[in-house]
Amino acid sequence: MRSRRSQGVLVGLCFLVVIAAACSSSKSSSTSGNSNTTSSSGVKKGGDLVFGAEQEPDTMDWINKNAGAAWGVYTAEALVMPRSFDFTDKNTYSPSPLLAGEPTLVTTPKQVITYKLNPKAVWSDNVPITCDDYKYTWDQIAHGTDIYDTTGYSDITGVDCPDPQTAVVNFDQPFPDWRDLFGGYYGVFPSHILQGKDRDAMMKDGFDFSGGPFMLAGGAAGWQKTVQVKLVPNPNYWGKKPNVNSLTFKFITDTAAEQQAFKSGQIAGAYPQAQPGQEALKTVPNVYFNAISGLSFEGLYMNAAKAPLDSKNVRQALAYATDRDAIVKQLFAPVQSDIKPIQSFATPAFGDAYSATAFAKYTLDQNMVTQLMTSDGWNRGGDGIWAKGPTKANIELKTTTGNKRRELTAQILQTQWKAAGFGLTITEEKASVLFGQDLPAGNFQVGLYAQTPQSNDPGNCVLWCSKNIPGPANQNSGENWTRTNDPAVDKAWLAADVDIDPATRAKDATDGEQALSDYMASLPLDPFPDILVFDSSKVGEEGGTIRHNFSFGPWVYAADMYAK
Amino acid sequence: MVTFVVRRIALSIPILLLASVLVFFFVRETTDPLAKYAQNRDVSTKINAGLDIGMYQQPCRYVTSAAGGRAPVSCAKTSRIKQYTFWLSHFVKGDMGQSFTTNEAVSTKLARGFTNTLQLIVWGVLISALVAVAVGVYSAVRQYSVLDYTFTGLAFFGIAMPPFFFGLMAIQIFSYQFSVWFHLHNPLFFSIGLHGNHGPGFLAGLLDYSRHLVLPVATLTVQIIASWSRYQRASMLDVMNSDYIRTARAKGLSRATVVLKHGLRNALIPLVTVMAIDIGALFGGLLVTEQIFSIGGMGKIFIDALTSGDTNVLLPWLMISAVFIVLFNLLADVLYGTLDPRIRLA
Repeated sequence: MRSRRSQGVLVGLCFLVVIAAACSSSKSSSTSGNSNTTSSSGVKKGGDLVFGAEQEPDTMDWINKNAGAAWGVYTAEALVMPRSFDFTDKNTYSPSPLLAGEPTLVTTPKQVITYKLNPKAVWSDNVPITCDDYKYTWDQIAHGTDIYDTTGYSDITGVDCPDPQTAVVNFDQPFPDWRDLFGGYYGVFPSHILQGKDRDAMMKDGFDFSGGPFMLAGGAAGWQKTVQVKLVPNPNYWGKKPNVNSLTFKFITDTAAEQQAFKSGQIAGAYPQAQPGQEALKTVPNVYFNAISGLSFEGLYMNAAKAPLDSKNVRQALAYATDRDAIVKQLFAPVQSDIKPIQSFATPAFGDAYSATAFAKYTLDQNMVTQLMTSDGWNRGGDGIWAKGPTKANIELKTTTGNKRRELTAQILQTQWKAAGFGLTITEEKASVLFGQDLPAGNFQVGLYAQTPQSNDPGNCVLWCSKNIPGPANQNSGENWTRTNDPAVDKAWLAADVDIDPATRAKDATDGEQALSDYMASLPLDPFPDILVFDSSKVGEEGGTIRHNFSFGPWVYAADMYAK
Repeated sequence: MVTFVVRRIALSIPILLLASVLVFFFVRETTDPLAKYAQNRDVSTKINAGLDIGMYQQPCRYVTSAAGGRAPVSCAKTSRIKQYTFWLSHFVKGDMGQSFTTNEAVSTKLARGFTNTLQLIVWGVLISALVAVAVGVYSAVRQYSVLDYTFTGLAFFGIAMPPFFFGLMAIQIFSYQFSVWFHLHNPLFFSIGLHGNHGPGFLAGLLDYSRHLVLPVATLTVQIIASWSRYQRASMLDVMNSDYIRTARAKGLSRATVVLKHGLRNALIPLVTVMAIDIGALFGGLLVTEQIFSIGGMGKIFIDALTSGDTNVLLPWLMISAVFIVLFNLLADVLYGTLDPRIRLA
């Protein structure tokens, strides 16, 4: 009996210890802070913030073939790598603290950009950031092996250094998106550390240098694979110093798990992907939930070289058979009440390059479907499906597996198209098979997938120009998977790739969208809501509001954030 | 016994070879390892990756870049058989190559995942075994008692409970609702990973570890305890009705001696067999538990590799799982003989 009683006491003690531990800290686990001080503006100094990250970076060698993952940028690259231009919350570029001012741009006879570097700009080891770093960065990207993407850098013929704080970048041909160079998802690399070394080996698992407001805690140790990335302030950063002592990003790849972690206070904020169901977080106490349309969007991409979609009439009929408004509302109205379908292969965040009218004519219209199909020689069979001789208008839609948003979209489409006389079968594939095999090989009729631009650059020739249809000329690496082949489309998008003036490019882009709409290559659907979920009782941002950043993510403003 | 073990190990070699053939050909038939690089404008990236895994063979056709470097632009593809022998010869030497998505050595990646999974397995199996045996023995000894019916009901509930649902419910209650009900500053039990930020000292670390471990281990064990306890109950009932147990009782041995010494040892035999096989399978499993609790173990590595088409990770992962299943089957046979002296392994 005594033994049983002592066992009971032991169990009770254990429970009390756990309860005591749960009560012990005055701050929750997501803001396990110490030594907070409050300034007169109410901004607290100190404390540690913990956030959720939906993906782990694949590598921290930002230019390697395996780079390019947005979450690598959100959790580290944007905060530790210096860059020439910031992409702002107003969707514009502005010179970063690395530059002494706006660079000089000369366009004739060749494009030349002169960057004046801020003399205060130093790496975390106090070595100045100089033109040599620009030269090294260009050399690695343009001439290195296994590089993720050399676009723009391969057009550079050389980087001249008249003095350490001046970098003169010479181009072989016009490159309108030049503000994204020496920045963006790459940044500027430190030549004094990496020159002559194996860059990939030194960076891929984390590194101890920084040219941004934060640096990896303990160097490579700051990235605990499969667990978290932990950042601490860079003591030698010359710009705005961070308020917090540390910033931790916990890898939580499961959506439901991330929601629970936020609700239970284990993370103070998240940047969840646009999926139906995220509205559940709106009801969490103290939540700051904000959703606005970002840069990314979903679309239906039709293979114009594959029957029956090689007929423009059929493509247009499918567009008229699609109630895009119903799809968008069903997917995202609970998350973002004012959401609307986009009318071009860009979102309103693209500014003047967004056409609000190009695809606006494609609304649900059964009469137009009938007119287009009958004029193309199709008749509706007894089963209600259009038929032309022995050929039935049965369409296969391919999309990625395991994506709730796409599954729902495909199911709605199936219903809508059936009512309009089109059979639709849905095939879900691994992303590697869809994007690596079927789309490049043209082994699809309709694809449902997203575009996730890193900036609002309007250039889109890569997707629509006929020279980029996969084939021997481009060693099958062209990305015009829809096989769009139209002179009007080519003309507009080729111009957008060489015109430097932003207003002219915006006009090129809207012309290009109109040409795409006339050709009906594909159909834009929903802009993805860019969702911020923060616990307002734990996190604040100087200026009062936590800001969106469609390129670098919300934590690009982490130096302005503070733990409450 | 030694002869038996040696013979079984020798027999395992052709089984594993067959497994390697099936694994390799199924994976390569369904996933193009180089698909990730299909759209890379630098063709040498794809060619280099293909050379690394033996899909291409030298000599390749090279071009010299403006900077003076030589980059391959095309190579002849090797046959599937040669690709298999290339992969197997490297695998048996411990060279698993690099992950296609992270450039990290696959052996390092798997070792890290294995360490995390092992923690769940050890605690999960230990707790499951203790609880399942205790519940099974009690239910058999007190057959048709209120507690026996209760345990039976709970066992059916546990078997029917999908781990993902149980895990999410457990998080909802023990991570979230408890904090709300009792106004706790921190969750009672954590639901992310196996470690968090904690104060200094061993005890603080231990407490933090325990609070991270409770929910994933509970999720992992709920079905196992349920099914193992049913095995144990059935086996114990069988044994307790045997003649030699009646004899033991007639000799006047104490109830505890009869149940624990004479009954339990024999009743454990079927359970040990099931346990050994289940543990082997668990090493490759844990998909749901690790996903829900954001634990970077073997299950999560498998999901990530599968979705990204990282065949360099998939192939060794599947082979290691096969090795564990074979190994634990062998262990089951050995334990069978150890627990029951009447069984002679030869």
